[in-house]
Amino acid sequence: MYPSRVQRIVRVLGVVAIIAWSLGPVVLGLITSVSTEADVQAVPAHWLPEAPTLASYQTLLGGEVVQGGIRTPTEVRAFGSAMANTAIVTVEAVVVCVVVSVLAGYAFSRLRFVGRKVAFIALVVTLEVPVFALLAPLFQLMAGAHLIDTQLGLVLVYVSAQAPLAVWLLYNYCRELPQEPEEAAMIDGCGRFAVFWRIALPQMRSGIAAVSAIVMLSVWGQFLVPLLFAPTIATKPVTVLITEFVGKYSSNQPLIVAAGMLALLPPAVVAVALNRQIRGMLSGWSN
Amino acid sequence: MTGTARRPASSPRRPRVPSRARLEEARLGWLLVLPVVAVITVLVFYPLALGFGLSLRSVHYASGTPETFVGLKNYLDVLSRPESISALLHTAGYVLVSVILEIVFGTLIALVLDRAFRGRSILFAILILPWALPGIVSGLLWTRILNPDNGLLNSLLLQLHVIDHYQVWFSSPVASIVLIAIVHVWGVIPLIALIILSGLQSVPAELHAAAAVDGAGAGAQFRFVTLPLIRPAVAVALTIGTVAALGIFDEIFVLNGTALGTRSIQMQIYLTTFGQLDFGRGTAFAFLLALVTLVVSIAYLRGLRRAAV
Repeated sequence: MYPSRVQRIVRVLGVVAIIAWSLGPVVLGLITSVSTEADVQAVPAHWLPEAPTLASYQTLLGGEVVQGGIRTPTEVRAFGSAMANTAIVTVEAVVVCVVVSVLAGYAFSRLRFVGRKVAFIALVVTLEVPVFALLAPLFQLMAGAHLIDTQLGLVLVYVSAQAPLAVWLLYNYCRELPQEPEEAAMIDGCGRFAVFWRIALPQMRSGIAAVSAIVMLSVWGQFLVPLLFAPTIATKPVTVLITEFVGKYSSNQPLIVAAGMLALLPPAVVAVALNRQIRGMLSGWSN
Repeated sequence: MTGTARRPASSPRRPRVPSRARLEEARLGWLLVLPVVAVITVLVFYPLALGFGLSLRSVHYASGTPETFVGLKNYLDVLSRPESISALLHTAGYVLVSVILEIVFGTLIALVLDRAFRGRSILFAILILPWALPGIVSGLLWTRILNPDNGLLNSLLLQLHVIDHYQVWFSSPVASIVLIAIVHVWGVIPLIALIILSGLQSVPAELHAAAAVDGAGAGAQFRFVTLPLIRPAVAVALTIGTVAALGIFDEIFVLNGTALGTRSIQMQIYLTTFGQLDFGRGTAFAFLLALVTLVVSIAYLRGLRRAAV
């Protein structure tokens, strides 16, 4: 059955609508970030800036810049550190979370041991515990351990919040993998750990990539947790700093939006580059 | 070693002979799950117990009064306070608007993507983008569009002569909640569309062919062939959409701050706990919301099971 002309027109309209809806705000943001304040204030709007400028990006990334006799304010200079904080904590959390989740996901799907069921059910239950229910007690716990405003504290909170989903996804992923190569290796006298390390792990590559991406996207965008657990610029991530900009420089939209564009670049790159793997993992989520 | 052939993990019958291989397997199993078990014990279950204790006590860090055991008073307090009731109503609004938009438009997006066409993989990458972005950044991008003084939506509508002067979009709570929900939907709908799509793709093409032979048009095919078969996927999408909307915070914070008229439950919990430093009442509220979240997930999944029978 070939699609009729009407169907084809409807599909094209649908595709155009999806593109406009998904990319519209991002493209408008990109344009805003290279506009001047005057462009943004104009009524009706200048849809394209009269003279595109990278001044906002320079202000954010250039350290101390003097423009018209005005020095870059301290908070703006902190943008680079906030980006670095986000990047470092995200990488650390992803590495820790994925390592422990790969081990556990594999063990739950392949190995038999006493207490396996109980441990697995406990883990699945935590999938249903939203982080916000734990914020106050976690805050007390972290304060007691002097882990507020430390990378370690943030990484611990993120790993505990993300690991249940990561284990669940990797568990399902492992169950779909063929077991024959592992059986063959065992018949050849390979030890249980060697089977995991040399045979299973390489097979799990695309699943590991997908889960790393999913955890990365989630951790990168965290806001409420660091709002509480990362109060100073020693650990403050870019999401929290941006909301401070919104309060202080509401008139300077190009600057705020440029900060947003820089903050969305890494997750956007990861999502687009790994979108096939992420999609595969997400559709398995629902089963 | 060669004696213990691997069966699927769910295999019911297995020789119960403790061998060295089985011992090795059990030891390795525990070794591999130990890190995750340790993390969730210390950072999920322990705080959960601590939190329950907090929610039963009066803990006012601001006033410095000593902690006292008050039983369920915090819970009753939460349920009777006007600010919690209005946060509850706002959240109901966010959930309702978000979930309806997500399911309707998510299904439409999934239908567009169901059959292969040139450039579909690029379209997937484009579709997934808003889901990947931090909620704070989504809020920021939409602020540029919805700003009452110089926003692009006002400008567009003015230039198209739909309106004759700039509108203040966030003038009423209802309008604000609908608009914030739309911004929220922008970030969640890619996930919803992908889940419904995976349901669509499990519908065998022969069924459509058979229905077409029986004279069913596209509409009838969707209603009587597609819809019943994608119900499980829609139920999962509903759960994910509802749970996401119940926890809405970031988008509101950027678009309208902590204004009273658009506060969600999540935001009220944050303000009670860390603004007024009333850890007891804040935690009680958080536990109530967690309970609602749990009940919603279970209700959808039960409905799903009934639908499948």
